[in-house]
Amino acid sequence: MTTDIQVISAPRLEDKRRSLVLAEDRIGHYAEFRAFFARTFDLQRVGLREPGYVLAPSGLAYVFVFVGRSGEPFPAGLEIHALVAALEPMDDAAVDRDLWAILRWMIAGVGGEWRVEDLDATGRLYRLAVAQAPAGG
Amino acid sequence: MTLLSQLPEHIRSQWPYAPRFTRVNGWRMHYIDEGQGEPVVLLHGNPTWGFLYREFVGPLVAAGYRVIVPDMIGFGLSEKPLREDAHSLDGHSANLAALLRTLGLQGIHLVCHDWGGPTGLSCAMADPARFRSLVIMSTWAWPTPPAEFHTRVFPWRLMHAPLVGPYLLGRHGALVGRGMYLSVVHREQFRDRAQPAYEAVLPDPGNRLLTWVWPRWIPLDETARAHARFQWLEQRLSRTTLPTLLVWGREDDVFDASTFAERFKRMLPHAEGPFLVTGRHFLQEDSGTVIADRIVTFLAGLERS
Repeated sequence: MTTDIQVISAPRLEDKRRSLVLAEDRIGHYAEFRAFFARTFDLQRVGLREPGYVLAPSGLAYVFVFVGRSGEPFPAGLEIHALVAALEPMDDAAVDRDLWAILRWMIAGVGGEWRVEDLDATGRLYRLAVAQAPAGG
Repeated sequence: MTLLSQLPEHIRSQWPYAPRFTRVNGWRMHYIDEGQGEPVVLLHGNPTWGFLYREFVGPLVAAGYRVIVPDMIGFGLSEKPLREDAHSLDGHSANLAALLRTLGLQGIHLVCHDWGGPTGLSCAMADPARFRSLVIMSTWAWPTPPAEFHTRVFPWRLMHAPLVGPYLLGRHGALVGRGMYLSVVHREQFRDRAQPAYEAVLPDPGNRLLTWVWPRWIPLDETARAHARFQWLEQRLSRTTLPTLLVWGREDDVFDASTFAERFKRMLPHAEGPFLVTGRHFLQEDSGTVIADRIVTFLAGLERS
């Protein structure tokens, strides 16, 4: 179910706020992860001009803010923000499931030695509720 | 101390020591300093803190030693930086050096475990005249690969992969939770008597940063950030004549004794041991008093000699 995440164009932002839900300082710790995001969001062309957007299983859109750091390949880091109703609390359980779906989508996209089955097994090893559900749940 | 004050009495009572703080390289470091005599410095690793040595402090103080147990910056009651670049192997070694110099310690008996090994041993090899002996437990001190386990995608490299680390070890606290639970022998006892003390000091995703940063510092090939430091450490350590005791868990399936303790023994043929005890990676949880007694005997032997 690695297609649960869709890359979308910029959604309407009125009455929305960005809620930071996950941050990665070192997206290139394994270079193939950086390459996946650069490829998926055409970052060599887009650069820092605009963030990326995805739609997750809950129906929430997420903003991918790519971070540059002097002396390092771009992107160096990544912040994932949920786009939620401006004055409402977010549904943390739904966000957690969405993040797991984003991780599965990322691992499938990185490919090579990185396998979604291994991510699922890792989730089960650490008894994550999201990893006990059917694939894509 | 508010983090600990929320714990049940049966947890808090195991750590009755006065908290002390100092600045190291700009960071606020917590440590305890108990007893009088030759200094024994006890170093923890990932994702623990001084509490790991709660069964060591009393016996060592009673045997006439001054016991210093720092919490690594990023863990325990020490300051927890929020950016990955705040952490490096050299930086953590320098943090320890700062503490030892601030306290004016000489003739140090160094006890190290996990990342307390590369950080503490680097500190010792950079300034060996300050040290009198080494006790080494479940760690390594040479370049790639530390273990076949560390090269595997499942479960090791996936656990701290980009975004997966902040999610699994950050949001879900997997290393300080189930990770530690799986890495002791007596799991129910650990869950009841100790695990809350480790989880309490890393309550939020942001302050668990170092739990996924340290795994990323394990060199897997020659391009790794710490590869040169580990080469240097291996060379220096293999030339040291400091009296050394090796202590390992029989059930350690990450830094298994037959690979790691034996390699230390080949590197340091004068070392006593390896002394095998009941224990997986966090052997202090299963055999704390046994190890403490063995260290007291080792140190007493040094005095006689």
